[in-house]
Amino acid sequence: MEIDSHIGCAMSGLTADARTLVEHARVETQNHRFSYNEPMKVESMTQALCDLALRFGEGDDESMSRPFGVSLLIAGHDENGPCLYHTDPSGTFWQCNGKAIGSGSEGADTSLQEHYSKDMTLEEAETLALSTLKQVMEEKVTPNNVDIAKVAPTYHLYSPSEVEAVIARL
Amino acid sequence: MAYWSPYDNNGGTCVAIAGSEYCVIAADTRLSTGYSILTREHTKMCQLSDKCVLASSGFQADIRALQKNLDARHQIYQHQHNKKMSCPAMAQLLSNTLYYKRFFPYYAFNVLGGLDNEGKGCVFTYDAVGSYERVGYSSQGTGQQLLMPVLDNQLQSASPLLLPSKESATPLSESEAVDLIMDIFASATERDIYTGDAVEIVVVNADGIRREVADLRKD
Repeated sequence: MEIDSHIGCAMSGLTADARTLVEHARVETQNHRFSYNEPMKVESMTQALCDLALRFGEGDDESMSRPFGVSLLIAGHDENGPCLYHTDPSGTFWQCNGKAIGSGSEGADTSLQEHYSKDMTLEEAETLALSTLKQVMEEKVTPNNVDIAKVAPTYHLYSPSEVEAVIARL
Repeated sequence: MAYWSPYDNNGGTCVAIAGSEYCVIAADTRLSTGYSILTREHTKMCQLSDKCVLASSGFQADIRALQKNLDARHQIYQHQHNKKMSCPAMAQLLSNTLYYKRFFPYYAFNVLGGLDNEGKGCVFTYDAVGSYERVGYSSQGTGQQLLMPVLDNQLQSASPLLLPSKESATPLSESEAVDLIMDIFASATERDIYTGDAVEIVVVNADGIRREVADLRKD
């Protein structure tokens, strides 16, 4: 989902919880733009999200009785270039070059570690991401059951025909 | 008949001029109330970051409160985002801070000057409730009406509303701009009773921030 024009995220877990987090992130980034007339740093936004993950029980009104059960992959582009962060329900976040989350994540992570290199092109990255996904998915990869989005340097969600084009290269 | 007012005008004038690689911000150092002088050596400038200087004239108490507010917000920003605020970001923050007190305003007439993210000079001019605009030069305070026409004549910067957008920074060199400031303040001092004593000139450029003080008529 898009958080701001320069940040997007992917979720895994209780995706209903993710929507609250994404909404909070969107509000934070827009607040920052309102206050400072500049895009928010990706790391700061990730930090703000993780602060919320810890505060689930605070306050009388909107407090939750359990932590947010969702991990997020935050992809963004700021003045330090493109970056990727991984958050989990504990409120910890890590910066990564490549990461997979969800049920097939272990196998996918190893595969990413083997094939990732710092100077990959966008096309190579698309192919790697999709082929890694293909390995852990049971059904065949089609434009209707996968979503691809990129932040380069603005967020863009691929249309079915663009996804088709990547699948064709696999 | 005599009713207590929460505001007072402590007088003074501020000017800022943006160049292609520098910004000059200047303000006189006289603090007055009514027809009396409170002090001849009072600074109206506040350095908010290493590329950003605020000059304000108006009600001294409100100005100090505003400066402290902005300083504190800047420190928090540095802690949260691990970097200093850019001048355009500070400009937006100042606007929001002023508007926050829309119904009991800061009696402060501000000019913010510094270098933008690309190293070019930038000047932002404000009204008391936060309406702001990026311009090539500006003046605020009791000497504003005397100085603006002279600045318009000497600098004639392009309107920010023009399309395609033209460079609003002046092509003058740094020393020419400083000389202009000296002349201009001398003129304002002649006719404005609240302006005088000395002018404090601050120059922000790629090498850092430089400050000089020049005498003005003390009458």
